[in-house]
Amino acid sequence: MTTYTICVFTENSIGLLNKITIIFTRRRINIESLTVSETERKGISRFTIVIKHEKREEVEKLVRQIRKIIEVLAVFGYLNEDIVYNEIALYKISTPLNGKSVDVETINKVYKAWVVYWGLDYVVIEKTGTETEIFDFFRYIKPHGIIEFVRSGRVAVGKTPQGLIEYLPEEITEWEYYL
Amino acid sequence: MGNLLEIELKQETLTTSALSKDEQTFHSGAQAMMECLLAESVDTIFGYPGGAIMPTYDALYDYIDRINHILVRHEQGAGHAAQGFARVSGRTGVCLVTSGPGGTNLITPIADAIIDCTPLVCIVGQVKSNLLGTDAFQETDMIGVTTPVCKWNYQITDPNEVPEIMAKAFFIAKSGKPGPVVIDFTRDAQAAKMTKPFVYNKVEKMVSYNPRVVPKQEQIEKAAELINKAKRPYILFGHGVLIAEAVQELIDFVEKTDIPCASTLLGLSAMPNNHPNYMGWLGMHGMYAPNVMTDECDILIAVGMRFDDRVTGDSTKFAPQARIIHIEIDPSEVDKIKKAEAPVIGDAKEALKMLMPLVKKGDFTGWKNEFRKLDVKEYDKVTLRDLSQEGKIKMAEVVALLSDKTNGEACIVVDVGQHQMVTARYYQFKKANSFIASGGLGTMGFAIPASFGAKVGAPDREVVGIIGDGCFQMTIQELGTIAQSGLAVKMIILNNNFLGMVRQWQQLFYDNRYSFVELQNPDFITIARGFGIDGHTCSERENLSDSLDKMLDSKKAYLLEVIVEKEENVFPMVPAGTSVSEIRLE
Repeated sequence: MTTYTICVFTENSIGLLNKITIIFTRRRINIESLTVSETERKGISRFTIVIKHEKREEVEKLVRQIRKIIEVLAVFGYLNEDIVYNEIALYKISTPLNGKSVDVETINKVYKAWVVYWGLDYVVIEKTGTETEIFDFFRYIKPHGIIEFVRSGRVAVGKTPQGLIEYLPEEITEWEYYL
Repeated sequence: MGNLLEIELKQETLTTSALSKDEQTFHSGAQAMMECLLAESVDTIFGYPGGAIMPTYDALYDYIDRINHILVRHEQGAGHAAQGFARVSGRTGVCLVTSGPGGTNLITPIADAIIDCTPLVCIVGQVKSNLLGTDAFQETDMIGVTTPVCKWNYQITDPNEVPEIMAKAFFIAKSGKPGPVVIDFTRDAQAAKMTKPFVYNKVEKMVSYNPRVVPKQEQIEKAAELINKAKRPYILFGHGVLIAEAVQELIDFVEKTDIPCASTLLGLSAMPNNHPNYMGWLGMHGMYAPNVMTDECDILIAVGMRFDDRVTGDSTKFAPQARIIHIEIDPSEVDKIKKAEAPVIGDAKEALKMLMPLVKKGDFTGWKNEFRKLDVKEYDKVTLRDLSQEGKIKMAEVVALLSDKTNGEACIVVDVGQHQMVTARYYQFKKANSFIASGGLGTMGFAIPASFGAKVGAPDREVVGIIGDGCFQMTIQELGTIAQSGLAVKMIILNNNFLGMVRQWQQLFYDNRYSFVELQNPDFITIARGFGIDGHTCSERENLSDSLDKMLDSKKAYLLEVIVEKEENVFPMVPAGTSVSEIRLE
């Protein structure tokens, strides 16, 4: 199984998520993670979808079928080595009175994670990184007692010097920036 | 409190009076919809009224002199009729139905239209927008339900959106690879007035959707190079040739290069059957030579076809030796089933025009003769038997005789099953857009509504529906539509009292276990008469010719029921999932 990251640029309209995911359903491909947000251009959304698949040709067919959706502007499929990518995770860790204290220095320096909230007898730690890094830290912090753990979908940018926007239809590149 | 209310009321009156002058000139959403239809030169729509579409039907009342509305008996009939209309005329078919069951009854035609690339615009009523998502009376989530089976859908909740969305809808339905578009039109948006004047601008290009029509020159050059080197080239053409109106271009191309060609089921009639380079059609029940020769060619030129599994059988064993040129407007079809060495993305008409000057004049007499040699084998084993005139009347002789009597120029609409395959085999097409069938979805019940749709689309042509006894009963209620609209549609039931194709499979592959395929049929002629359509039954061979004459001579709609051999099988046959080399002749 190879991991593929599929970036879909679309017009920002109602129901588009369904139109895109239904193609995965039809082809019986499980979505590992999904992130949607507006891009640097107003009115253009970016879907980052991670899947695992054995056959590259099948992923190519999937990409072409996604492109067929009317509101879709462009679709890119990547292998991990083509992109810079990350996820974010939050860990709610139990810190009862007289419990084992959390080693903030190790957390910061070794695991590049940060305590973002102190509760009365728990802390919330935030960590960004790859899936592997997030689970490495998970194993490290687990003995403290994990009350809650949540991991976001992947976000990714290509390693090419241009932005993906450059590949979109010409009209789009003239659209105003988001900010 | 009282004071506040007073102010509010006063303001309301003020606003109304200030607007009332302009309001009279502004269209309601429903009126705007009618104007959009006129702007798109729509003169015929197929529909069925109901609660959530009533404002639109009310607006339609003022347009009945310009828009011919055909009242069907079931929304499925509206959809298939619009398909028949679109397929024969090359125009976009329009349906108008209500919410809930009205919309869901339309799902089968929508699914049929997407797979057979038929341009439809389906306007479906919807509950008021404040009731959306509340399980209101006759509320169905049409966007959710139609998303997997339509080319595009959109919910209109504001009358001001109507012109822009309808312009997009017509553009999307007809351009590129055509398909059905669903417009979910809330009742409040139909009734409310627009707040600005109606302006209609046709859409010819969209930022996110702009299908390539003219292929890239380098793709054309690569394809031409392969064609010019070919020793045993072979063209397979499909529905795309008819959609692109590339019939003449295909004939010119074939005549210059002398390449033998074969059609898919839906490509039938794109080339006259008597053309010397036309070798027949291929597929599961297609002809022997066109099927077998896919294994012999060196270059396969696929034009406007998509390597459906009913064409290829086991696709891994389909033409493995051939280098493939694939002319196709939809990039997602290229490499989907068969890897193309030279894909040409674009419209078939443009592609053939661009290829013309680059290809050499050819002479493939020897190669073509190899097809003809195999034809003899098929003629001896299949055709002779089908046309033997022994025992009960056979489907083949009815179709062959009809073909002679209509000089191969009728528009033939078929349903799904044995009669469909036999018609495809024995009707000798001479004119384009003359074979209308549900190919991809295989929808039984397609033919009655599609026949009258086709008759509306081509009123000057003889339209003959050839229908099985099982299929006929799936949309039998549409006889009422035919009678009420006074359309002179001719229908032939090839009645074998069986669901013939399923029975054939049960005989050949399920050890003669006839599981629920025998039908106890009604008296079709009495039923037709009950609807006000004349007809008669023919069960003897000596009456067949006169019976067909009587039907064809009728100035009104007519139903001819022909009692045919009960357990006849259609051959050749490529059993499902096998390779074409395993084709059976008996």
